[in-house]
Amino acid sequence: MSDLRIINIEKQYPQTQQKSEPAFSLQPVRLTIKQGEFFSLLGPSGCGKTTLLKLVAGLLPADNGEIWVGDDNLTAVAPEDRRFAMVFQQSLLFPHMTVEDNVAFGLKMQKISKKQRLADAHGMLEHVGLGGYGSRFPDELSGGQQQRVALARALVANPRVLLMDEPFSALDPSLREEMRELLSRIQKEFRVTVLFVTHDREEAFYLSDRIGVMSEGTLLQVGKAKKLYEQPVSAKVALFLGLKNIIKGTVADGRFSSSDQNFEFLVEDTIQTGPCLLILRPEALQPVTKAAALHPDSIQVSGVIQQMRFNHGFYSVKVKVGSNKLDCSIASQQAEEMVPGQKIDLLVKLKDIWLIVE
Amino acid sequence: MWQKTKPYLLLLPAIGTIVLLFFGGLFDGLLKSLGYFPAIGETRFEVTAYTDLFRSSEFWESLVLTGRVAALSSVIAAVLGAVIAVSLFMLNESAKSGGAQLWHRLFQLPLTIPHLVGGYIVVLLFMQSGFLSKILASAGLIDEIRDFPVLVNDPFGWGIILTYAWKEAPFVSLMIYPVLSRIHRSWRDVARIFGAGSWNFIREIVLPVMVPAWTIATFIVFVFTFSAFEVPFLLGVTYPSMLPVFSYQLYTSGTLADRPEALAVNIILAALTILLGLVVYYFSKRWNVLKGWD
Repeated sequence: MSDLRIINIEKQYPQTQQKSEPAFSLQPVRLTIKQGEFFSLLGPSGCGKTTLLKLVAGLLPADNGEIWVGDDNLTAVAPEDRRFAMVFQQSLLFPHMTVEDNVAFGLKMQKISKKQRLADAHGMLEHVGLGGYGSRFPDELSGGQQQRVALARALVANPRVLLMDEPFSALDPSLREEMRELLSRIQKEFRVTVLFVTHDREEAFYLSDRIGVMSEGTLLQVGKAKKLYEQPVSAKVALFLGLKNIIKGTVADGRFSSSDQNFEFLVEDTIQTGPCLLILRPEALQPVTKAAALHPDSIQVSGVIQQMRFNHGFYSVKVKVGSNKLDCSIASQQAEEMVPGQKIDLLVKLKDIWLIVE
Repeated sequence: MWQKTKPYLLLLPAIGTIVLLFFGGLFDGLLKSLGYFPAIGETRFEVTAYTDLFRSSEFWESLVLTGRVAALSSVIAAVLGAVIAVSLFMLNESAKSGGAQLWHRLFQLPLTIPHLVGGYIVVLLFMQSGFLSKILASAGLIDEIRDFPVLVNDPFGWGIILTYAWKEAPFVSLMIYPVLSRIHRSWRDVARIFGAGSWNFIREIVLPVMVPAWTIATFIVFVFTFSAFEVPFLLGVTYPSMLPVFSYQLYTSGTLADRPEALAVNIILAALTILLGLVVYYFSKRWNVLKGWD
């Protein structure tokens, strides 16, 4: 198997001129990406995900660690000899070359005959929906079309790993969705291993088999989208994934108590005693109805609605419970009867509760 | 009406001067080359000066020498200029310090030196009793300074070629460098990822990008050396002389009868320059070299 293995790769940048700001460093990263897997590195700007991508590509020298693909150690191999491909934030097509020459560039470098490489380029342009555009120049294409050409250029060379550095971030939302679908379809078709960098949660969740969440130069958690969202290992991961309902408390004698005593419930024995964070997903908090009120494996809290915002078919409702403000996602039908200032009872099932030991 | 004509009226003094001095001079030269010379009582138009020139071996030898010197100077300056520009570009891409800027300034130095001074530098360096021959003789690489090849005031024109190559290479690099600076920094990364080493990057990306500016710069150098006077006058031999010097020799020969021929040489030089310009324009269009750049 030609898995991509990143073994304790690390990078320390030199100190910047402003001594007050510490120099950025990428902490040792250990990661295995399976052949044909779509893996995303998700994190805020400046967290080191592009640095990690460039280290994998060989465009930046690593201070320590190794990069392997299958049985080949690529750590000391020049980027031009790694047989990787990359799609950047901008299309970065060569303006003096036609679209088909741009697509065939990698094949030309591999010394494939002109006839063969142009035939391959035509085929790949068909795949990305740009058949018949081969003789045009990049400046005659729209931004989305240019990015499709960049994708075709990357795929046609049959790379061992396809690296993608926020490739859709410069596109408008509808085009971004279209490109996501295209990429997802093509990745499945070609079974190419993809290492994708993004700060867009939705994009990572839509495309990825697995996701690695990064922050401040550290890979915090790796897992499938559902697992990351429902069971984040730290408050940082939870916050980055949009989980704002983080309640401080303590676990003692098999029981969790929030600091303001509003949340109290029994916990499993496996959870360590000590300070803890309670994570409540917005959609897990639901208003109490007659049917749900009697559910035994749930907890119930009371609060006051502070704010309501309509959001893609549901309402984002902010409810003040004790000293905490909770975000709840409530279906439009239920929310239509609510008004800010109204008292509300919320219910959350124990199976939807997630505790993080601090 | 005033608003529309005002810009043209403001431009009139500059345009008038250019038309009067450039086209006026050219027109006057054309008339005199055709034998129209009222000062000596010649008011007829004839092509005797041209036919005499085309029959004289001196003219053809001058033309060959001029073409050879201009072509070799331009080619050497073009190659040197391109090497300088590409080296500076690659240095700038890889260097983190301001070293590239220093080299850039250093290579621009010959631009500040007048051609005549450049010619003298070549005389002092490359003549048989010059600096270089003395160093080589002192180092024992040649027995005596007379063994040093004749590079100044030689019939082939090496002295002139050396001067122009040295003087115009920075000009060529100056023309190319701004074009190279338009090359996106990330293109190097893109090219490397897709398998291009440094040489392939230069061949596939850098050279095609700089070809239009390079062609134009080389053409300017060719046209300039083709019709330049002072360096060939200083570093050339009496026979054969380059066309501008040949024209000067005819003009100052002491007889007014030679002046139509002298001016005919200048008209031929101008005509050849225009013809070369058209050829370069035709090829640059045909190569489609500017296509794709916004």
